[in-house]
Amino acid sequence: MFYRTAGQFKTSYEADHALFPVRQDAYLLAFILLLAFVVFPLTASEFAFRALLIPVLIYSLAALGLNILTGYAGQLSLGTGAFMGVGAYACYKLLTVFPEMNIVIAIAMSGFFSAAVGVLFGLPSLRIKGFYLAIATLAAQFFLVWLFQKWAWLYNYNASGAIQVPNIEMFGITVAGPRAEAITQYYFVLCFVCAMTFFAINITRGRIGRMWKAVRDMDIAAELVGINLMRAKLTAFFVSSYIVGVSGALFVFLWRGAAEANLFDIPLSFRVLFIAIIGGLGSILGNYLGAILIVALPVIIGSVPEAFGIPIGSATVEHLNVMLVGALIITFLIVEPHGLARFWAMIREKLILWPFPH
Amino acid sequence: MKHWIRKAAVSTALVATVMLTGPASAQGDGIYVPNLSYRTGPFASTGTPLMNGQRDYITMLNERDGGLNGTKLVYDECETGYNTEKGVECYEKTKANAVVTQPWSTGITLQVLPKSNVDNIPILAPGYGFSAMADGKVFQWAYNPPSSYWDGAYMILQDISGGDLSTLNGKKIAFLHLDHPFGKEPLPLLEKLSAEHGFELVPIPVGLTEMQNQSAQWLQIRRERPDNVIMWGWGAMNAGAMTEAAKTKYPMDQFYGVWWSGHDGDLKLIGDQGKGYRSISWSVPNSESALMQDIKKHVIDAGKSQINQGEDEFDSVFYQRGVMISLILVEGIRAAQEEFDTQNPNAEQVRWGLENIKLDEARLAELGAEGMLVPFSTSCADHTGHGGGWILEWDGSKFVKASDLLKADRDVIRPLEEEKAKEYAEANSPWPVNEECSM
Amino acid sequence: MDILKGIFVDPFADMIAAPDFLLQVLWEGLVGGVLYALIALGFVLIFKSSRIFNFAQGIMVVFAALTLVGLHEKGVPALLALPLTLGVMFMLAVAIERAVLRPLVNQPDIILFMATIGITLFLIGLGEIIFGGENKVMITEQLGIPTGSFTLEPFGGFVSIEQKDLTAVIGAVLLVGVLLLFLNKSKIGRAIRALGDDHQAALSVGISLSTIWVIVWFIAGVIALATGIVWGARAGVSFALEVIAYKALPVLMLGGLESVMGAIIGGLAIGILEKLFEIYWGQPLLGGNTEMWFAYVLALIVLLFRPQGLFGERIIERV
Repeated sequence: MFYRTAGQFKTSYEADHALFPVRQDAYLLAFILLLAFVVFPLTASEFAFRALLIPVLIYSLAALGLNILTGYAGQLSLGTGAFMGVGAYACYKLLTVFPEMNIVIAIAMSGFFSAAVGVLFGLPSLRIKGFYLAIATLAAQFFLVWLFQKWAWLYNYNASGAIQVPNIEMFGITVAGPRAEAITQYYFVLCFVCAMTFFAINITRGRIGRMWKAVRDMDIAAELVGINLMRAKLTAFFVSSYIVGVSGALFVFLWRGAAEANLFDIPLSFRVLFIAIIGGLGSILGNYLGAILIVALPVIIGSVPEAFGIPIGSATVEHLNVMLVGALIITFLIVEPHGLARFWAMIREKLILWPFPH
Repeated sequence: MKHWIRKAAVSTALVATVMLTGPASAQGDGIYVPNLSYRTGPFASTGTPLMNGQRDYITMLNERDGGLNGTKLVYDECETGYNTEKGVECYEKTKANAVVTQPWSTGITLQVLPKSNVDNIPILAPGYGFSAMADGKVFQWAYNPPSSYWDGAYMILQDISGGDLSTLNGKKIAFLHLDHPFGKEPLPLLEKLSAEHGFELVPIPVGLTEMQNQSAQWLQIRRERPDNVIMWGWGAMNAGAMTEAAKTKYPMDQFYGVWWSGHDGDLKLIGDQGKGYRSISWSVPNSESALMQDIKKHVIDAGKSQINQGEDEFDSVFYQRGVMISLILVEGIRAAQEEFDTQNPNAEQVRWGLENIKLDEARLAELGAEGMLVPFSTSCADHTGHGGGWILEWDGSKFVKASDLLKADRDVIRPLEEEKAKEYAEANSPWPVNEECSM
Repeated sequence: MDILKGIFVDPFADMIAAPDFLLQVLWEGLVGGVLYALIALGFVLIFKSSRIFNFAQGIMVVFAALTLVGLHEKGVPALLALPLTLGVMFMLAVAIERAVLRPLVNQPDIILFMATIGITLFLIGLGEIIFGGENKVMITEQLGIPTGSFTLEPFGGFVSIEQKDLTAVIGAVLLVGVLLLFLNKSKIGRAIRALGDDHQAALSVGISLSTIWVIVWFIAGVIALATGIVWGARAGVSFALEVIAYKALPVLMLGGLESVMGAIIGGLAIGILEKLFEIYWGQPLLGGNTEMWFAYVLALIVLLFRPQGLFGERIIERV
């Protein structure tokens, strides 16, 4: 009933290659965008912005970057946190060295720094594969976090070693810093995430995306067919780290407001990896679904017992949260290793048939 | 299959409902005082007794007196695990009805500091935070009584040098610190004093992942052979340092620690081998005082405490310091109640209250806490109070007071406070400065 | 010029100038290396027999140590607590095998890896609820491990050797010796190695997959307990110990994921080199704290030349 595919013929190759061959998918996307741009800003509280909406967007962007590297190109990376850090520190330095620079340009440019570092640490992928590569990316993770702590120039020799976001204005509205309104920051992040997602969808559906998938599935065969492995892997690292770097800059400037070096440590890398995996490796939608789950979970665990009046110590909430995330990961991997995106795909299949049985 | 679809639908519904709810804060009637505590993680060992102390003082007031002048105080905790990210989340979650916020980590304090102006909630950071918060002109919403880290560093140097800092000329002092805003906080003052008085400062950072395995740092200390080691440690770092110091046989009487590095639990690990270790402290435990006996009667024996009875936590420095911290907070709230003639002061009024605390010896005696806390008073310009501190020395089984009241030299520290405060205000402009006060 | 001198000349001059200090550094590095090797052994054993990269080994170390100390706190005498802890680790192994591994039998490696990370998180949360978060003291004396230290005095200086470190080294050597004997000479050991070579073939010869897996996980649990005791004796038992698993990973990279010898040699090499680098190059030139990443960068460089690690099996890919 919802997904009436009957009557939707394609009469040209272009139409067949469209992003939403079934019109209802396009309607669904329009509905979601309407929710995001109009409904949520009108109804959500400041807490909902800062604790749910903005982090979901930022984490899904970071997971998008990781998914391109791990899901589409098959190069497992555990260093996402450090690359986010590179983006954040690059943005900070750009804005302190050029205070008049527009923040949008600063964030866009900081992605390039992260991409460069990503390519550098991606070079071992030409020789190393699988788990070994994952552990090699940990080298990037640990080294970069150490660098963030030791290289005082990065945080302007601040005594505390932390970077703080000053009040930044754009067209007269404060978009970053302690005076920024949550709703402004939400729109800013939303626009960025939409732009990056559009870019990611196009690149993964195109020639380069197919190149990556070939490398992921069987890289020796891909090489035999004529795909330049070096180019494929390094472009994957470049694009992925660019997106991750931008998400890191957004993370600090448009959400946290300040950062210290160990914010970008392993737990952050793992969190983004969980989002990518639970959401579904090799999908774009999955990142959003995974982020919603992972971000909302602690909030739910914290609120539900209190809503029912059961007193629960905050430390116990923390422990339960950790346990639940672990159990969820295991459950998801057992039940649906392809993640929430596959869940959605199955629901959609059922909806196409519904209410008919077959 | 249907089972899973149903599950997915339910979870989406749950998420949707949560989206439109606000922060769930435990609210009864009364004055809401949240605490950004940590009972988990590598810093839990040092955090838990302090938070127990804070909690028990407030419980005692509610039990014994029915609250503060009749109004109950609602104590609530939000678990941060000493993680700056979680700390900021906890701050956002609890700020709605709170009259104060207690960040319990210099890292979290620094991140919450710029928000305090916008959200209008006073930050109470007793004995931690940014030392320049003493400048009440710039930091109208931040308080760090009774002594700041710069005071503490100065007082340790005073004790090392026997009162005259110029005798430190030519000495080598190693500064073993946690590689975290907390550990790095006293560096500006230490560097300044090192340049002025001619001693060599060797900063030795300990990363968060190396707290349990400090052999590299202590090998470095062995190589450098400093005259003294000043430790700015917290959590598992203290225990790690103690065991390594005992192992490399570093003379304990040359080993000093800040007030957060003087924890009974850590020293008990090495017991007699730690004899002679000293820690500067602005609180002294006294289990026989009227206040502590009241807490014992109304809270601990009544089973309302989370204290760990088996480990003698009641007598420990940190537990009783936690009690003192709540005492300071309640004094501030009381001052607000009296000044504004209201039973339920709001955050603005409590801010004023914290600015007008007068905890002199007479008042401490009234509260039953004679000699347990350095006397101090805050003012519009001075948000620290600079009460000074005492040296506590480990005698093998407990800490005992080993000096008279030390006070840091205001003339040396004040210019640095003003300078750093000004820098901070400029870096975070527009920053409201209260010109009516002056240091 | 100064930098070059600092890299190539000064450190060696320092080493020669204070040879007793050098010996102390080497000893510390050796002890650290032994501990890394022990953890890596747990990984290798499980990977060898089931091709699962068990990230949960780190938390198993902590869990084993905490159970031991927890039982002792409840009043169980130390010598009884040891076998009881082994029993708990055994049940844990069975539970993990049944609940997590069996359903995931044919999945790609990364899925299994993520599952073990999930196990890690679950056990961290559970452990903190059961045992609490504070630092605990390892029951070294009750276990009969000598504490105290003795001092050697070579070259006019001094080298202080903790007796518990010495016990740890000797114990580790014995453990590894027994393990190697077991793997090479006993029937079950052969079965484990057979499973590592080829699952299908082992199954067809009649080797029971789940029994062997449970045995392997149990042995990994024993190793975890030994590591937990030794490491806990050095620095107290708490959840901060879990980050030690991150130190074992470069050992695995260096030694290869399937080789017991590789784990040992890799562990010792990394332990010693890391300490040397930190003391003689890291602290003077780079501001210290290089132990965080040195092992990883070293392993990475070795991998660039030998992608399977020093002792790993050559990776042969077929299309």
